Amino acid sequence: MEPAIRMERVNKWFGSLHVLRDINLEVAPGEVLVIIGPSGSGKSTLIRTINRLEPIQSGRIVVDGVELSEDQRSIEAIRREVGMVFQQFNLFPHMTILENVTLAPMKVRGLTKEEAERKAMELLERVGIADQAGKYPAQLSGGQQQRAAIVRALAMDPKIMLFDEPTSALDPEMIGEVLDVMRELARSGMTMLVVTHEMGFARDVADRVIFMDEGRIVEEGTPEEIFSAPREERTRNFLHRILHH
Amino acid sequence: MRYLRLALVAVLGAATLVLLWFAFFYLLAEGVRLYLGAMQFTPSKVTFYADSIRRGAEVTLKLTVISSLAGLVLGLVAGISKLSRNPIFRQPATFYVWLVRGTPLLVQILFAYNALPQLLDPLWKPFERMGASPIQDVLTEYWAAFIALSFNVGAYNAEVIRAGILAIPKGQWEAAQSLGLSQAQVMRYVVVPQALRIVIPPLVNNVVALLKDSSLAYTIGLFELVMAGQRIISATFRPVPVYLAVAGVYLLLTTVLTFFTNWLERRFQAQGARA
Repeated sequence: MEPAIRMERVNKWFGSLHVLRDINLEVAPGEVLVIIGPSGSGKSTLIRTINRLEPIQSGRIVVDGVELSEDQRSIEAIRREVGMVFQQFNLFPHMTILENVTLAPMKVRGLTKEEAERKAMELLERVGIADQAGKYPAQLSGGQQQRAAIVRALAMDPKIMLFDEPTSALDPEMIGEVLDVMRELARSGMTMLVVTHEMGFARDVADRVIFMDEGRIVEEGTPEEIFSAPREERTRNFLHRILHH
Repeated sequence: MRYLRLALVAVLGAATLVLLWFAFFYLLAEGVRLYLGAMQFTPSKVTFYADSIRRGAEVTLKLTVISSLAGLVLGLVAGISKLSRNPIFRQPATFYVWLVRGTPLLVQILFAYNALPQLLDPLWKPFERMGASPIQDVLTEYWAAFIALSFNVGAYNAEVIRAGILAIPKGQWEAAQSLGLSQAQVMRYVVVPQALRIVIPPLVNNVVALLKDSSLAYTIGLFELVMAGQRIISATFRPVPVYLAVAGVYLLLTTVLTFFTNWLERRFQAQGARA
């Protein structure tokens, strides 16, 4: 089967800093891939190259059968199929939640307002914040905002969802509600790439876990393999630090 | 239904503005009349003088309003172009801002009135043959002043708008882009609406400056507020009360403008608290 994402020898530099080193990665449709690693290891950068928020200097990235290039139109075409959820939510503060969710389906997919709103309300219902539809982002709690941000991405019917530390900016009591939504999404068969420090989530939901350090994929395996019997010293150290702090 | 309501609001709003406009200038003329009377100007002339001040003030305010609207459009285009990665957009915009901000407005106004018709004449000839008036008659004092003032304020607005756009967090761009919106859509639906809110106070500043700067159009013989005052002084040799009146009217106009735009700013901020 054609992989949902294929990365071949991908390299990226920020100036003289080599942030992605020869990354080779394939993600199957429907797979849930969790990426862990210390900060600065390149894990956020990695998923941000997939929808071209970060350009790469060498290598190939093929998303859903289409190779990423410099061409703005092809970039936009891929972004339509790849949803992204950010650490800081990045909801549009001047729009209501409903407007946030319906903007892209109307302007990019060409849905009518009625269609877009009906769909938005269904999705908001699914994540339990339909009653917040008319409010502005600033009026919602962090957990509600992040759920709205997930809905905003889902409203485009993406084939792939990227999560860049979606719970890192949340108060502890709100993390659960966001992870629940992501769990449900994983069960529904969505292809997901998740950068996170939530090891419990990774253990429960991931089909595969990748450990990154210094721009390299150091180790990969099932959650069982990575968490119970890591092969690499660096993985062991990292897991030790994060699980026993 | 929605468009009908919008149209209704627009019509009612416009009607209210027109009404306010006439009421304001009626009251202004009455006020000036009382003031000149109290200052013991010849009673038979007081109404005429007051009316001239009113006419001058109306020209000043009209010129300011249309020049700021044109300047807003120019500023948006130039400000966004200055941020473009494409030099075809960026360089002309940078040149425009550099040119306008580096030369005196007085020179720009004189240029628009005296030099521009000569420069445009060859281009205008075909239109003239089709029955249009000669370019000198089209570029009256009023329209020459309009051109100079809108280009001038447009350049200052461009810098303000550029700064406002740069103030929008990177995450907003990324979120919009990641949804598949085109660059133009990101600008139109996400960045510009938020940037406008930030730039309203400095834009108002520019408009207030423009209102005062419009007095420079006096030099090309436009009958605006300063010219109205000068005429009265020539006839009466009483500069003190007349200049005081002229200055007072400017103060009143800038104050009204500030109130109006403060109100606008609050309206903007009321819809959608910032995150």
